[in-house]
Amino acid sequence: MDSHLSDPELWSRLQFGFTLTYHYLFPQLTMGLAWFLVYWKWRALRTGDERYNRAVRFWAKVFGLNFAVGVVTGIPMEFQFGTNWAEFTRFSGGVIGQTLAMEGMFAFFLESAFVGVLIWGEKRLGQRYHFLAALAVALGSWLSGYFILVTNAFMQHPVGYQIEPNGLLGIASLSDYLLNPWAWVQYAHNQVAALVTGSFVVAAVGAFYALRGLHPSQARLYLRGGTAVGLVASILVALPTGDQQAKMVGAHQPVTLAAMEGKFQGGPMAGVALIGQPNVAARRLDNPIEVPGALSFLAYGTFQSYVHGLSEYPETQWPDNIELLYYSFHLMITLGSLFIALMAYASFQNWRGRLETSTGLLWVLMLAFPFPYIANTLGWMTAELGRQPWLIYGLFGTRDGYSKVVSAGDTIFTLIGFTGLYFVLGLLFLYLTGREIAHGPDDPLPAIRRGSDRELLVVPESPAKPVVAGRKAEPMP
Amino acid sequence: MIPIWYGVVAFMLIAYVVLDGRNFGAGMLHRYVARTPEERRQVIAAIGPLWSWHEVWLVGFGGVLVAVFPRLMASAFAGYYLALMLILWGLILRGIAIEVGGHINDPLWQGFWDVVFVFSSFLLAILFGAAAGNLARGVPLDAQGNFSMPFFTDFSVRGQVGLLDWYTVSVAVFAVVLLAAHGATYLTLKTDGAVHDRSDRYARWLWTAVVPLLVLISFESWLVRPDLRGGALANPFWWLGALVVLGSAIALISGLSTRRETRAFLGSNFLLVGLLAAGGAALYPVMLHSTLAPENSLTAQAVAAGPRALAIATMWWPVGFMLTIAYFVFISRRYVGKVSVQRDSHGFY
Repeated sequence: MDSHLSDPELWSRLQFGFTLTYHYLFPQLTMGLAWFLVYWKWRALRTGDERYNRAVRFWAKVFGLNFAVGVVTGIPMEFQFGTNWAEFTRFSGGVIGQTLAMEGMFAFFLESAFVGVLIWGEKRLGQRYHFLAALAVALGSWLSGYFILVTNAFMQHPVGYQIEPNGLLGIASLSDYLLNPWAWVQYAHNQVAALVTGSFVVAAVGAFYALRGLHPSQARLYLRGGTAVGLVASILVALPTGDQQAKMVGAHQPVTLAAMEGKFQGGPMAGVALIGQPNVAARRLDNPIEVPGALSFLAYGTFQSYVHGLSEYPETQWPDNIELLYYSFHLMITLGSLFIALMAYASFQNWRGRLETSTGLLWVLMLAFPFPYIANTLGWMTAELGRQPWLIYGLFGTRDGYSKVVSAGDTIFTLIGFTGLYFVLGLLFLYLTGREIAHGPDDPLPAIRRGSDRELLVVPESPAKPVVAGRKAEPMP
Repeated sequence: MIPIWYGVVAFMLIAYVVLDGRNFGAGMLHRYVARTPEERRQVIAAIGPLWSWHEVWLVGFGGVLVAVFPRLMASAFAGYYLALMLILWGLILRGIAIEVGGHINDPLWQGFWDVVFVFSSFLLAILFGAAAGNLARGVPLDAQGNFSMPFFTDFSVRGQVGLLDWYTVSVAVFAVVLLAAHGATYLTLKTDGAVHDRSDRYARWLWTAVVPLLVLISFESWLVRPDLRGGALANPFWWLGALVVLGSAIALISGLSTRRETRAFLGSNFLLVGLLAAGGAALYPVMLHSTLAPENSLTAQAVAAGPRALAIATMWWPVGFMLTIAYFVFISRRYVGKVSVQRDSHGFY
């Protein structure tokens, strides 16, 4: 009975963690890409420049595939509140139910009503409404993010609740709950991180076309848009949002901060480790190389500030996997810093007019796109591992939250099922997205049965023609 | 407040069944009403751009359920663990089949996804039907309000029941026929050419089959839940549901026989609404009935969130609902009209 294989808490955590991590690979691109579509469509409306419309049509197809996988992998998330975390839902549904329901009513209905016409309905809607559809989808996806971040912020830093006479949580103030300071900081951090993913993907496709000498005007558009947004968003992820997030953790979850930094002993002039592995058994950081005082300064504002160490707290309050938490946090910071450096250099080359001819840089941009996904995942691992051993920080333990009637075996079985299904789903997604990218933004695939072919047959000026002419007219410099 | 929220939650679930039910129906009939690859694309195009909007009603229902009846969600979802996971996987397969089937114009590729689409549509219709049967029959709730049950036990409807028994299986069969009829009526409205003619024939046959099945299911329900007989007949909403069923049956018959397809489809929608509403009214105030002991049953009162949560949700839900209706009107006005093989087999998907 003590075997981990028969521990339902472990398997429910793994299943939720796996399905959520997988799911979030898709919305982060949706949220990042949505504003590119809005911007390009707006430019197309303002300037009448067909390049922007071609960009919108191409990226809308990528968006559509991404959105579909996001929808089908999203429904299991909501269901698992009931199936695997029944005790948590029973205890806290009176509070977190508000935002889960609002997400459906205000965000998903908006997003899913307009995504179809954004992708397939340009001619049906007309240009102005097509722009509004892009705007509606962007707003819907960002609203959905906000409601989920409020839900998560309540689990990190519960506010606006009361204990009902029956001992369960009830909502005391909707505005306190929705305006949770933790939610604002986390939302800002998370959303700019989604923009980083979006901009890296856009820049990577631009770099791919530039390296192959394909679609030059589109490649330039993607490279410029991707690097400009990428630079601003990468900086914003660190400052002020990441910095504020760390201060928030320092203020409300000092044990978590100590674990994230591998600080076993507290003290002033606490350093940030550049290198070092937490050795929990020996309660120290192995072979540390530290910047002295940096953690005191970053978390509490002065170098002399006292940073609590793990040894000041009972082990039962420690996050239950300190090594993984530490590595997630540190790798996220490292990647985030590299993103700023890469995008700053790319923007500098762009300013000098050399971006499209710097082969080495283009290679790096083309291959860099998976790393924002990794960094986003690491950030969420930091947030959720750091919250342990609580489901709702200080109020409700993870150990109390799983469904008592669902056995470990049932969850192992369904986790294996999800793994297999999601593997196939991932292959399909990569294959079909790769096909779209390989084909490029010029014209609908001859063999493809989608897009507004119907209208293209009626309206003679298919986007194919000016593009072909454009390709000849503007060879790669 | 609690009766209103019972109504809202029931409404959202009914809206989901009616909206996505047409897609399940069209999916089950896909291989039968459409014989050529072009015709199969035509059926997909008829469902096409709005399937995810329909599916979102299930998400909306789930969210509102957590907000207002959290303890029902906790008991029911954990208790139905494996069955719900099958539903989730079915929904994933169904969505992907619609979405990727049209991406590559190859008979093997499309043939494969068409079969996945048909299979997942059948699976979902059966599972949702069995779920409806379970809600009516009840589940083995213990005194703590928990249950966990196998797929089937001895196929009886009392005591330690399973997901499947003679009653829930017959409701599942009824759901398959009913949703197929609903989908056929939708395709009759939404397509032209050969698919339209076959759908029209299927709609007539399937609706004819619905009549004896409905009588049988009503009689079975009357046997399985004798405790509900008095309450249902005294509940005005049950009578309202019954009246809607009657009215929409007339609209459906007249629509099908005079080829007024919009009227027939409206009748089909409201027939489902009426049936489910009458069922919901008959069950009230119990949301999950215990087959072990009536005192273990979970009433709406017992599973509801605190009064403040309900009051707060009452302020924003109508706003969200009005917005939803506004999007629906805007979008559906752009998709009025038939989907045709010549024009639309290349369209949407």
